[in-house]
Amino acid sequence: MRIFIVITCLLLFFKAADAQENYDASLISKELMPYATVVIRNSETTIEVKDLSNVNYHITKAITVLNKNGDDMARLIVEYDKITELKSIKGAIYNSFGKQISKFSKSDCEDYSNAHDFSLFEDARVKVYTPSVTEYPYTIVYDYEYRSKQTLDIDKWEPVEHTGIAVEKSSFTFICKPDFNINYKASNLAGKPLISTDTHGLKTYTWQLNNQKAAKHEPFSPYHDSFLPGVQIAPQNFTYYGINGTYNNWEDLGKWEYNNLIASRQNLDSETIQHIKEITKDIADPKQKAKKVYEYMQNKTHYISVQVGIGGIQPFLAADVDKQNYGDCKALVNYTQALLKAIDINSYYCIVQADNDYTIGLQNDFPSLNQGNHIILCIPFKNDTTWADCTSQTIPFGYLGSFTDDRNVLACTPEGGKLMHTPKYTLKDNVKRRKANFAIDNEGAISGNMTTVFKGVDYEYRDELINEPRTEQNKMLQKIYPINNLLIDKLDLQQDKSFNPSTTENITLHARDYASFSDGKYYFLLNPVNRIEETPKEVRNRINDVYIARGYTEEDEVTYTIPSGFRPEKEPLMVSIEKPFGKFTATMVLIGNQLTYKRKLQFIEGTYSKDTYQDLVDFYQAIVDADEYNVVLTKN
Amino acid sequence: MKKALIIVLILSLFTKLSKAQNFTFGTATQQEMDMTKYAKDTSAHAVVLQEFGESKMNVSSDDYIKVFFTYHVKIKIFDNKGFDNGTVQIPVYNNSNTDLYEDVSNIKGITTYKDDNGLTRQIELEDKKIYPVKENKHWANYKFALPGLRNGCIVEYQYTIESPYWENFHSWQFQTDIPKISSEYDVHIPGFWNYNASIRGFLKLDKNTSEIEKECFSSGGAHCDCSFITYGMHNIPAFIEEDAMTAPKNYRSAINFELVDYMNPYTGAKVRYTKEWKDVDYQLKTDSYFGRQLKRESLLKDRIIPVIAGKTDDLSKAKAIYAYLQKWFKWNEYSGISCVDGLNKALDSHSGSVADINFSLINALKAAGLKADAVILSTRENGSINSLYPVIGDFNYVVAKVDIGTDSYFLDATDPLLPFGMLPLKCLNGQGRVMSLDKPSYFVDLITKQKQKSTYSMEFTLQEDGKLKGTIINYSIGYDAYLKRKAIKKFNSTDEYIEAINSRLPKLKILKSTINALDSLDQPVGEIYEVEISLYDKVSNGNFTFNPFFLNKITENPFKMTDRLYPVDWGMASDQRNILTIHLAKGYIVATPPQTLNVEMPNNGGRFLSTYDPLDNTFTFSNIIQFNKGIYSPDEYPYLKELYNKIIQTEKGEMVFKKK
Repeated sequence: MRIFIVITCLLLFFKAADAQENYDASLISKELMPYATVVIRNSETTIEVKDLSNVNYHITKAITVLNKNGDDMARLIVEYDKITELKSIKGAIYNSFGKQISKFSKSDCEDYSNAHDFSLFEDARVKVYTPSVTEYPYTIVYDYEYRSKQTLDIDKWEPVEHTGIAVEKSSFTFICKPDFNINYKASNLAGKPLISTDTHGLKTYTWQLNNQKAAKHEPFSPYHDSFLPGVQIAPQNFTYYGINGTYNNWEDLGKWEYNNLIASRQNLDSETIQHIKEITKDIADPKQKAKKVYEYMQNKTHYISVQVGIGGIQPFLAADVDKQNYGDCKALVNYTQALLKAIDINSYYCIVQADNDYTIGLQNDFPSLNQGNHIILCIPFKNDTTWADCTSQTIPFGYLGSFTDDRNVLACTPEGGKLMHTPKYTLKDNVKRRKANFAIDNEGAISGNMTTVFKGVDYEYRDELINEPRTEQNKMLQKIYPINNLLIDKLDLQQDKSFNPSTTENITLHARDYASFSDGKYYFLLNPVNRIEETPKEVRNRINDVYIARGYTEEDEVTYTIPSGFRPEKEPLMVSIEKPFGKFTATMVLIGNQLTYKRKLQFIEGTYSKDTYQDLVDFYQAIVDADEYNVVLTKN
Repeated sequence: MKKALIIVLILSLFTKLSKAQNFTFGTATQQEMDMTKYAKDTSAHAVVLQEFGESKMNVSSDDYIKVFFTYHVKIKIFDNKGFDNGTVQIPVYNNSNTDLYEDVSNIKGITTYKDDNGLTRQIELEDKKIYPVKENKHWANYKFALPGLRNGCIVEYQYTIESPYWENFHSWQFQTDIPKISSEYDVHIPGFWNYNASIRGFLKLDKNTSEIEKECFSSGGAHCDCSFITYGMHNIPAFIEEDAMTAPKNYRSAINFELVDYMNPYTGAKVRYTKEWKDVDYQLKTDSYFGRQLKRESLLKDRIIPVIAGKTDDLSKAKAIYAYLQKWFKWNEYSGISCVDGLNKALDSHSGSVADINFSLINALKAAGLKADAVILSTRENGSINSLYPVIGDFNYVVAKVDIGTDSYFLDATDPLLPFGMLPLKCLNGQGRVMSLDKPSYFVDLITKQKQKSTYSMEFTLQEDGKLKGTIINYSIGYDAYLKRKAIKKFNSTDEYIEAINSRLPKLKILKSTINALDSLDQPVGEIYEVEISLYDKVSNGNFTFNPFFLNKITENPFKMTDRLYPVDWGMASDQRNILTIHLAKGYIVATPPQTLNVEMPNNGGRFLSTYDPLDNTFTFSNIIQFNKGIYSPDEYPYLKELYNKIIQTEKGEMVFKKK
């Protein structure tokens, strides 16, 4: 009997070996080669939910690396932690003809901590295998399995994670018991999933992606999730670190999170409660009270990320933050909520995807756990919903900035989860307004003063300068303002932290050799401080729409007093362009010895059709040209 | 009984004596609490009030003799920009391949602060909030954040590291990025061990005393006296980094120790570690991960037979071997002067550390009958080496030197794009030491002929519509060729590279392009473009103004500070030439010619030269920017800055073309 088993195994093995694909690189279709750095020959991802606390992930992948730039994408990276157990890793390397040249297994992998750089501690580790092949193309084939003990956060299937990846064949299979209900959402995939029952009576869902060409980088693209293929799965019943739950909508999920992760974490000792009552007792307006509490929290705490406990999604106890004076975003929001509760102000713990470049909201149509990376606070005053980020020691109360503006968030409340939307900063809010009075003397030196006001998301533009030593501030200003030989005589930075915050910068400066003389002519750059020097690159056959995350307005007015007796040698600058996505005007007027330069640039947020892109490049080019306008003055 | 008591008494007396140097844990004076600024540097976000370290050798609980390093610091934090000083990481070497590892113990932390009511309070670091993290197979980290931070608080912590590595006797950083009021390091070195101490940086010691401690070390019946040395500094300014400088640690004030020799306390045998170069030579020559790996020609002999087949002269043999191994290996990003996996494994797996790869190269060259040696060096990032006496720990990289005829070539086979005889920039850091197996080692200058150079030859015809049509020929030479190859290879194909340049410069339309010698590493990379450039949208009253520096124009001075403390270190000299020839459309003349200028730095340090040669309706305008040195001292800084200033001034000037 034993022999029989061995033989069967051998047969199976041979069968598996027979079934092995041919990884000859020359078999890759020419169609897939443009812009491809690697080609995924075959990828199979299988997730099987055996029960609520036992999910098996099995991934096999064959990647052909076409050149050195693909080495990073060929690297095998498998993450694990306390509740994710690695079962096996094996793999092999094939040369360009598809002949196997080496093999590897788990013991050949390096093991690292996988904590984020910003974290003091996280229970996350990673196994990494880096292939070492110097002849291209080559193919790496690997096969690994891991088991997760939770069903709340199912890995998303992302068959194309990057530009430069072409796909021959990729599939995703989700297997579960017939009565295990899931919600799913497939994006940017043709066709519907194949749903069937396998020989064991299990329900299977299968998605496929074949012959996908490599994407190239296109500037001003929307967030990659909106154009890359992917499948998200959310089981209706789940267990997470031993806690069970059920959800079908954001309301359920928000309620589960509130009840299990937050509700019991907000107790404070009576001394702290008393203190909070004391410092707010003379304030009548609830919003001003909340501001006082927020500022108290800001002054007392700072951000330290330590991810322990329930999957890193449960905040520290408020009392612990009160004692330690630090916490991460969860802990600090939870603590602020507890402080507010002490004076009977109700607030919400809100999950958000923080990102400065894209306003990515939680999806209206698909509730799931892993859509946010940050927590902010919402205080629902009557007719005045106020928002606050609790991780900064300096930002004003009620200010979110570009990190979390204009997007869906999930408020976790005792009544259940609610999708809410954070405030949007429009081009009227995001303003940078500058006025300068400069004199240029006979030697070409420039001197004068300049005042700039920053509002909206621009409010934060000078944060890194504030409270820095003067010498450091000077160094930074010399980098910000491209005037050669720039010396700062005086700097004054003021921040107005009211509900409509603004930053005002006053600078007195001088610089030698700003203008140069030759042959009785006088040359200097008209735009001294706010130049755009590069246009976005042109893109042939663009695929993505043009996305401008945020509108803004820049206004500069510079008045130069120049030595008298000069006239312009070339035509004065006069540019005015208006496009659906923006406006630009730049003008120059010389009256007597007063030269006035005005520049106004506006971008209008929105998503525009891909055909607009060339227009955008031309628009930028016109700005670059205007910004490098060289004044040439000749003696009368 | 009586005897034991006496010993205990003496011991406690001793501990008391040596403890007297340290300061008491957990005390903050009223004056320290009331400080709102550090008077000597009012812009500091935090200041070290007191810092004390102590190293001694002792028998640990597991019966090994180890170095015990204790660190204790008290820091005043003025505002939240100084809060980083309350988060601590203690890295320890943790080699999982052996049972030798460093350990951290006695971590204690405390914060003293004023509470909401102005009362002074203290809060201690909890043990469970200290996080040990195994970062990778070599390093572990102990991390913690001190509790209770507020503006104006005082944080204090201490810990002890036990290390079995006598050769890594703990160094001491006097200068860091925050100022320090007082910093002191006490070392107790038993007579069995001998170390060289070296001080780096510009600051002077305020305290430097030494005395003999009688019978301070005993182990297994052997005992000896110790040297007890104290190094101290007061009022240490913060270290401020500058652009274009080499490793900051070259300039930061610190003290380092290098093990010279030791006597085995149990056997009495003297073990020489390092003392003079001849000792280092001996040690490295016999080291199984260094010298012995350099005698393995047999391992490479067969492999290189086909590589050098048919090659008659030494230079072409060497080049063939170099190219072969460059292709064979992929560098695994590990540096160091000793082999990590050994040559066998490295050759088999096509992967190795710097030493694995370059030792293979040396062996292969020797197997071909060539004279090749290892050259150890310290990379720019790693800092400079001690030139007074050997500090082997300073070296972190090894390359090959091959002698052919009267010429020597430095070779590094870890990068497949480096041409024969060129070192990567990271290696150009003063001198390297040639470790020859058959003669004494010696220093050699690493920077010899290496230069970065590029030329742009442009020939255009100015059309009536204001468009320039013609060719741009760009040669990248020397190190520039290497950089250019790297840039081109970032793309999947040269077509994609050209598409990228084209799309970056919307005004320039590339009609035809050729790239020469992309894979012939010894030659300059040539790029030839037939282009059409639209410099004008409209032509008004027949006049064109034109900036002849439209390609490679410098508008910003990289040097902004008025003066500088540390040298500007570019690593190598550079040279850029632009030659522009323009044929004017019929009926046009040059109304305003471009500015010409010749400026030179003192002592032939560098220059900017532009010349203008008109001829009928054609003109040639050339300019050269040369920096003849790799390193400029702070004294030369103003000239360097001014040269850039002159270049920018000149490049602002515009030419005017007029219709006759």
